[in-house]
Amino acid sequence: MADCILVVAEHREGKLNRASFETIAGAQAISKETGWAVEVVVVGEGLDAVIAELATKIVSRVYAIEAAALAAYTSDAYVYALKNFVSTKQPKLVLFPHTYQVRDFAPRLALALDRTLISDAIGYKFESGKLLFSRQMFQGKFAADVSFAGDPPWLVTFQIGAFRGDLAEPGSAPTEKVTAAVAEGAPRVTPHEVFQEAKQAVDLSQAAIIIAVGRGIKEQKNVAIAENLAAALGGELAASRPICDNGWLPLERQVGSSGQTVAPKLYIAIGISGAIQHIVGMKGARTIVAINKDAEAPIFEIADIGVVGNLFDIVPALTAEIVKVKAGT
Amino acid sequence: MATVASPIAKSVAGGSFLIENRTPAEVFTPEDFSEEQRQIAETTSQFAANEVLPAADQLEAKNFEVTRSLLKKAGDLGLMAVDIPEEYGGLAMNKTTSAIVADRLSIYASFSVAFSAHVGIGTLPIVWYGTDEQKKKFLPKLATGEWIGAYALSEATSGSDAMNIRTRAELAADGKHYVLNGEKMWITNAGFADLFTVFAKIDGEKFSAFLIERGTPGLSIGAEEHKLGIRGSSTCPLILSDCKVPVENLLGEAGKGHHIAFNILNIGRFKLGAACLGGARNSLTNGIRYAKERKAFGKSIVDFGLVQEKIADSAIGVFVGESMAYRTVGMIDHALAAIEGDAAHSSREIQKRVEEYAVECSILKVWGSEMLDMVVDHMVQIYAGYGYVEEYPAERAYRDSRINRIFEGTNEINRLIITGWLMKRAMTGQLALMPAIAKLMEEVMAPPSFDDPNALDEPLVNEVGLLASAKKIALFTAGAASQKYMAALVDQQEVMGELADILIQVYSFESALLRAQKLSASSSTSAALAQAMVKVHAEHCFSAIETAARRVLAAVAEGDMLRTRLAIFRRLSKHTPVNTIELNRVVARAMIEAGRYSL
Amino acid sequence: MKILVCIKQVPQKDAPLKLNEAGTWIREDVSYEVNEPDAYALEEALRQKEKHGGEVVVITAGPTRSQQVLREALAKGADRAIHLEDDRFGALESTNTARAIAAAIEGEKFDLVVTGLQSDDYGAAQTGVLLAEILGWPHATIIIGIEKTDSGVHLKRELEAGHYQFIDMPLPAVLTIQSGINKLRYATLIGIKQAKMKPMRKVSYGEVEAKLSKNLQRIERLYVPVKQKKTEMLEGTPPEVAKKLVEHLRNTVRVI
Repeated sequence: MADCILVVAEHREGKLNRASFETIAGAQAISKETGWAVEVVVVGEGLDAVIAELATKIVSRVYAIEAAALAAYTSDAYVYALKNFVSTKQPKLVLFPHTYQVRDFAPRLALALDRTLISDAIGYKFESGKLLFSRQMFQGKFAADVSFAGDPPWLVTFQIGAFRGDLAEPGSAPTEKVTAAVAEGAPRVTPHEVFQEAKQAVDLSQAAIIIAVGRGIKEQKNVAIAENLAAALGGELAASRPICDNGWLPLERQVGSSGQTVAPKLYIAIGISGAIQHIVGMKGARTIVAINKDAEAPIFEIADIGVVGNLFDIVPALTAEIVKVKAGT
Repeated sequence: MATVASPIAKSVAGGSFLIENRTPAEVFTPEDFSEEQRQIAETTSQFAANEVLPAADQLEAKNFEVTRSLLKKAGDLGLMAVDIPEEYGGLAMNKTTSAIVADRLSIYASFSVAFSAHVGIGTLPIVWYGTDEQKKKFLPKLATGEWIGAYALSEATSGSDAMNIRTRAELAADGKHYVLNGEKMWITNAGFADLFTVFAKIDGEKFSAFLIERGTPGLSIGAEEHKLGIRGSSTCPLILSDCKVPVENLLGEAGKGHHIAFNILNIGRFKLGAACLGGARNSLTNGIRYAKERKAFGKSIVDFGLVQEKIADSAIGVFVGESMAYRTVGMIDHALAAIEGDAAHSSREIQKRVEEYAVECSILKVWGSEMLDMVVDHMVQIYAGYGYVEEYPAERAYRDSRINRIFEGTNEINRLIITGWLMKRAMTGQLALMPAIAKLMEEVMAPPSFDDPNALDEPLVNEVGLLASAKKIALFTAGAASQKYMAALVDQQEVMGELADILIQVYSFESALLRAQKLSASSSTSAALAQAMVKVHAEHCFSAIETAARRVLAAVAEGDMLRTRLAIFRRLSKHTPVNTIELNRVVARAMIEAGRYSL
Repeated sequence: MKILVCIKQVPQKDAPLKLNEAGTWIREDVSYEVNEPDAYALEEALRQKEKHGGEVVVITAGPTRSQQVLREALAKGADRAIHLEDDRFGALESTNTARAIAAAIEGEKFDLVVTGLQSDDYGAAQTGVLLAEILGWPHATIIIGIEKTDSGVHLKRELEAGHYQFIDMPLPAVLTIQSGINKLRYATLIGIKQAKMKPMRKVSYGEVEAKLSKNLQRIERLYVPVKQKKTEMLEGTPPEVAKKLVEHLRNTVRVI
């Protein structure tokens, strides 16, 4: 059997998670260096549409592991099914997007295979025949290159946004359905319906301009400063998690791993330090402007334009300037 | 009394720092905090930062419901129970712990003042002088913050001269009540307190203290004062108009109220010294943050030497203040822990042992309040124009700091206490000051010794030598002054003040030096930073001592006598200065990197 | 309910971190604190105990200094602590940390194990899940609500993009807790005072070594991340900055 990289794609209720394409893009890149074939597997039930979509990329094969017991996600059933599949297949690498679901089962899968998992990698390096995976440490203050010390299969999860999904090379791949191995006995865990609390009246993912506020805004009443700027620019207002946790803005305006993922033309981050949970939700923006008093804030790592200073002075000045310029033209 | 064994090895006499040398092992430092004390510091800091500071605007607007609810929360955490015995709902922790709470809680001055007044002057009189019934009745409520205490001593015409109060108490005909008449001024917490410790003279003579509950007929609270600072605290006059107080509410003995008044002040003073630390740290954090943000001439102003100097100055202030405060409270705890058996509950015994350190307590009060004033002044300057407007934190801190030089005895009164108390002890032979002066005179008259003090193998050898010289100058100057004025020295307030300054500098210098030496011994990474701070502080102290000494010497002699003394003085003050400019930069950089005071 | 809380000591959030000279780890002379998500796990355990009775036990693995987080947990109300005490525990990968914890609690019958969803230092987000695998228990991650039921626990899981899910599972189980699930309490002074009397069991490296295996992943180097993007920093007074920024928005970004 030829060496291969197995990408474990993800879907929710038959809808493909776009992050899967990012992982495929990552696998394709590694494949170019190692010569290992890329294969994709997805677990669930009724996956025809999902594998058809996955098969539009350059990969050797797309597998669907299907069983009624896999209709709703449980870590137990996923681990059981994938353990069987991976043990038989013996790929060199097993790659996942670092989603909430993957975080839930991938460590367990690795240990069930008697292997280890490098989680939340942001990239890879191929140095003198050795694969290294880079990951952030200490909340992004440092990065580490991590290697595998044991035998393959090696399991790695890639941070959302580590690779560009739209750059996954298109192609056409054969698909194959595999009957899942299902554990005997009653399942231990009973999952219920996935639901949303905040009705998504605002679809930030479609917004062209987003003005987002973070902890630096200090008080609820100060949110108005950002609101004025959003009004002047004709943009949508958004926020980082602490702002929504405090109830200063509704949850539906939260950008980040537990909120929405956005990709506007312009994203202005006001008083947002740039915790990784926020960054994964907005780093796809075309132009990022960061206004923050702390020159060391991680948000400047990904900003195109940065302003270090007091947002309470700068934002109103910016709003005024925009109003002035717009009135003049 | 104390639940934590004191880590210092030796009991020392109050004021002895001038004539004896201490080793680092003999002093208590913040590095010696127990795990328990560290945790209490953490709880207190978190409470102050997360609960108190965010409510500052409401408190500044005198929304006392918020104040009361915060005080209650502090009570729920146990912060008010530290000094209260366990049998009355307290935690019976030591004075170090109590100082730690005062220190960490003080990042917002108005709340700190309300809290300190409650746990200090509002509660301690009952802890120390209350009868069992009084303690049972009041302490459990005061320990939880269910009730808030206040203390009413000052009057419109009697402040520092507290014994001059005019408020009178007369025993009523029924023998069951005292009837009080008079007016008290500047009563902290008066606007919302439940219990007042009020001083009055029985029959216009016997200075005594009474516990008066809010709502007692004849007790009324006047209007809030409009103050320069600490506007979030309550300060009102108290009017007693035929106020009937049950006889069982007499606190302590009739005619012995002055014991209560003066002893509580000693505790109040070291606590105030500690409470200046939290305020200074917080101001420094704000100043560093702003200096990093603010750009001028294309760079952050934090990169400028004159800004860094202010940061270093402030950081050293905190370091030295901590060294002095915890050294002093460590000595007090050591003395209190040594009380044996039943005497541990005797107010007289406790009082005696606290009073032993009256000089150190006064030094802390003066030094701490002036240090904080310096720090907040630096911060206003760093903020510049923004430091002068209300929207930025420097302005309030600047106003809030000023009261510290006034209450708990003005700094002038405390300076007189420092010199006066030491001189009194010297005269009575309790403190071997006179023999030390005599010995020094012999030494200075002898030909110079060529012993090289630098032979000591230690990183702060220069400072050890400098401290020894500083103490000699202090003795020499004190000797010269007492030779001229003898017992009449007390009438020479300016000389007393200069001598107090010398003593304050010596104590601050020695405390900081001993702490840095102790840090060096533990090979901690903070050691280098502490050494840099002590070196700068040593130069600063020494110059201040030189200036004060020169002024005193010139005031107490002239002609040949003065010339001879100045020759000796020059010999004592000879030293090569260190590069404090570079050291200040080192200190400032460490603070800037940490973004706050950090050791 | 008898609950085990796995907590970790990590460098303080605002502590300036420096690399050691070898570039393999950070310099250890920083201030430490409890990993924030673990603090929420502890709070949740204490709340469950207050509701349903039982016992809360805290465990950590690390050098002597990490005892600090156990003491704090005891002060907040945990009943006893277990300290896997050795510098070497810090160098274990998540799998071995989980094995060490499992070995240390052998013979104890916990109903529930909770821990934070990830640590602020490694951020691997694996130890809790791996512990479940080793114990053979069910688990759930990123939990924001726990309700005890007759048959086990009714849990609220956070999913991405504002989605949630309820799940039911039997006990014993392992849960990883999301920050913000509750409001953290302060350690009270009486709690701090009483904590000194509470039992703390120390477990040496030698006692669990047999249960560990070779680390299967290795940190080759630690470094300050290279910045990917070139950021143009705008400077000047607020009006000047505003002017420059508007030019950009007009000419480069073209949104005005």
